[in-house]
Amino acid sequence: MNNRDYNVLFNLHTVSGIVISVGLFVIFFAGSFSFFRDEIVNWERNEATANSQGMHIDFDEALDSIQKNYNLNGRDIQISKTFDERRVNVSLGASKDTLATEENKAGAYFYLDPLTYKSYSYIKSYTLGEFLYRLHFFAQIYYPVGYYLSGFVALFFLFAIVTGVLVHWDKIVSNFYVFRPWAKLKTLWTDAHTGLGMIGLPFQFVYAVTGAFFMLQILLVAPSVFTIYDGDQAQLYEDLEFTDKPVAFKNNPLESNFSINELVSKTKEKWNGFEVSEVHIFNYGDKNMHVAVEGALGYDNQLTAPGKAIYKISPQLLVFEKDPAKQASYLDQVKNLLYRLHYGDYGGYLLKIASFILGIISCLVIVSGVMIWLVARDKKNMPEKKRKFNNAVVRIYLAICLSMFPVTALAFIAVKIYPNEGQSFIYSFYFISWLLFSTFLFLKKNLRFMTCFCLILGGILAIFIPLLDGFVSGNWVWSILLKPESNLYVVDLLWLLIAITSLFAAYKSAKMNTAKNFL
Amino acid sequence: MPANKKYLTNSNTQRFAKISAGILGGYLVTIALHLALATWLPRPEVLITSTYSGFIMWVVLMILPFLAKNGWKVWGIYILLLFAFALAIYFGKSLNPLSQ
Repeated sequence: MNNRDYNVLFNLHTVSGIVISVGLFVIFFAGSFSFFRDEIVNWERNEATANSQGMHIDFDEALDSIQKNYNLNGRDIQISKTFDERRVNVSLGASKDTLATEENKAGAYFYLDPLTYKSYSYIKSYTLGEFLYRLHFFAQIYYPVGYYLSGFVALFFLFAIVTGVLVHWDKIVSNFYVFRPWAKLKTLWTDAHTGLGMIGLPFQFVYAVTGAFFMLQILLVAPSVFTIYDGDQAQLYEDLEFTDKPVAFKNNPLESNFSINELVSKTKEKWNGFEVSEVHIFNYGDKNMHVAVEGALGYDNQLTAPGKAIYKISPQLLVFEKDPAKQASYLDQVKNLLYRLHYGDYGGYLLKIASFILGIISCLVIVSGVMIWLVARDKKNMPEKKRKFNNAVVRIYLAICLSMFPVTALAFIAVKIYPNEGQSFIYSFYFISWLLFSTFLFLKKNLRFMTCFCLILGGILAIFIPLLDGFVSGNWVWSILLKPESNLYVVDLLWLLIAITSLFAAYKSAKMNTAKNFL
Repeated sequence: MPANKKYLTNSNTQRFAKISAGILGGYLVTIALHLALATWLPRPEVLITSTYSGFIMWVVLMILPFLAKNGWKVWGIYILLLFAFALAIYFGKSLNPLSQ
């Protein structure tokens, strides 16, 4: 590569990287915990789940219990499970009966516990797991600003990845084996940045592309709708098989009895190992009532082929079926692979742990990149004012990024002591302590203190998390390890692992500091 | 060692041309190409492919203007491409209408 191109690409990499750095760090840090979103939710509520892909509930009982509060006639009803929690999502459409009361013309959305048949609103169901999951696409910022912001961070992350690889291309193999932590500070950060960046490259590339798609899909959808589909958005989603064709409402009461459980078990008998993730009822109680049973085979069998059966109730007929055991169409492969790759939920805990570690490695790549930016500009020949300014920028960046670790650990402790407090408690606890910690660290004016403080405090708080789970919920790590069918131990073990790693890192860095004293 | 300034763009209009060509022009060319393909090839397959190819292509088209000497020239090339793809969309739509 010639000198000009190298320097141009280098500059693009630096500028795009430094602009997105804090946002990207928050995304990767919160995103790494999101791999364990469902485990965190269950851990908070102390509700063990079956740890399975599908729903194993009594649908008829569930509908009866919903009927106590809502008149279901003429509505479309969706009962689905998106996360591995005990509660299932229930979505009620407005009644299609033109004579329905105002009350029945309103839709509803809530969570239903299939053991107690209690229902919960979204705000009341709010958990730290959900909070961290949503933080990783900035959903707390006014909708849709946060979504688009995180989408553009992902897009420019892809930009930084491509320019970074091009800059590094000539030395990509030889430099991988170079690590010179003791040479000088600049080479420590550079070697960490390029070495860890190379290790995480495929992972980061996949997350940048899929993340950009999830948050910026409107940029693809809108032009297609307006040019190809002449404004008919429904046609596009039907073409891509995201939605079903609407089923006409006949406004004639259904006379025969029906059982959703029967249809579900019928479907499960048809396809061995079928896990039901959604039951969609069209026109409840109407002559033209239909029921769609959707799901997939276990991911260890079939990664990208969902299955679906649609039944008409009267007379009972199978009107549509999509066999999950058949080779998936290209459409299904792409649609499902984008999600599976991003969620990392198809390979058990080994994959989740590997993804978590790669996510944290990506955080380190970001921090080391910011440090290179600082050290490269911290030269004697730079004007003093400029150097002070650069230093302050990096201090703000790192104070925000690094304080996330102790703040997150503290939030886990808070929700264990005050469970089921809902959204406002988690919002105010997390954001206020984050603000306090980062202000304190910024004012300390010492990057080394900042790092050690976060590593040690975070590590100590992390030890308390499994202990507290024992004291408050009676789940001592050793006792729940004996019940491998429950996944409650995952969060405790994860935090133990984090505690050991961060305290070890703090110890090592303190030792290195006294030996060389080079910061 | 920050990037050597002598190789970077100094003029503000050039910088504007390159950034706008990369972000806006790159986006328009990416979308136009995918829409043109969608009117001639199997529609759902092309559209679903754009979920990943679209963002990768956009980023590549974002980098190219900076490697060029003149950002306006890149805008010119992008606009020519846009015209070509627009023609393809126009004829593709009338020859292969949406089947109901």
